[in-house]
Amino acid sequence: MGDTIRAILIPPLVLGLLGLILGILIYLVAKYFAVQEDTRLDDIEKMLPRANCGACGFAGCRDLARAMLEGKINATACKPIKPSDRDALNKYLDEMVKASAQPASSAK
Amino acid sequence: MELIALAFTAFFIENVLLTQFLGICSFIGVGKKRSSSLGMGLAVIVVIVLAAIVTWTIYNFVMIPLQIEYMRTIVFILVIAALVQMMETLIKKFSPSLYKALGIYLPLITTNCAVLGVALTNIDQSYSFVEMLVYSAAIGFGYLFVMYIYAIIREKLEYNPIPKAFQGVPIAMVVAAILAMIFARFGGII
Repeated sequence: MGDTIRAILIPPLVLGLLGLILGILIYLVAKYFAVQEDTRLDDIEKMLPRANCGACGFAGCRDLARAMLEGKINATACKPIKPSDRDALNKYLDEMVKASAQPASSAK
Repeated sequence: MELIALAFTAFFIENVLLTQFLGICSFIGVGKKRSSSLGMGLAVIVVIVLAAIVTWTIYNFVMIPLQIEYMRTIVFILVIAALVQMMETLIKKFSPSLYKALGIYLPLITTNCAVLGVALTNIDQSYSFVEMLVYSAAIGFGYLFVMYIYAIIREKLEYNPIPKAFQGVPIAMVVAAILAMIFARFGGII
């Protein structure tokens, strides 16, 4: 009886503990070696489906967000996006382009 | 002497790409450019050696005493996935250009069967710690070596007149086949 309980309890315990240790390690690495990135990238990525389906031809949603940020492509490139999200994203991108164009024109 | 034989076997005769056919996805995918193949090779060496050390230690000092050897596959996958995740963060921090060149293939090291294959072979052959280190490193360098040769050939191919039907991946498959035939002959040495 004791052996059965042991055989049931030990595997999940070991796996859970291992997962916890690795999770903490990943957290520490991500915290101490974090890379500063454009916060607009996160905003765009939040509006995408984040399924990393690859239908747009980019390596995941973050890669697509980067291309959008550079103005190479607009929200229609994403195939599975919801229509409401697509409109919001296009609006966001338009405003972003305007915001970046204004300082340049006023400098002239 | 035995260690040298082991390293030679792992490097040439049991070459991970051309004899064991593990990790082929990245072989075809990243083997187009010398620089990215070199980066990928180095990343794979680091992941293979680290994963082998960690999995070997966990297996021998945790799983055997607790008699849960049958859980090795799931535990190894967990360890490898976590290691690759950390590698990715580190590469992103210290070499953004390499991070960009590797692209989607970096997370795919997680599912690169070469890494899991080496970890499981170490256990199956019941290698000692030193043997395990030599074997894993030799497999890793074998991966890098073949990947680099392959990238050189494919770069040269760009300038050669190739029939339209064979351009791109088809001719790369032919190259891989010829390379594999050459490596199959190394088996006759020992």
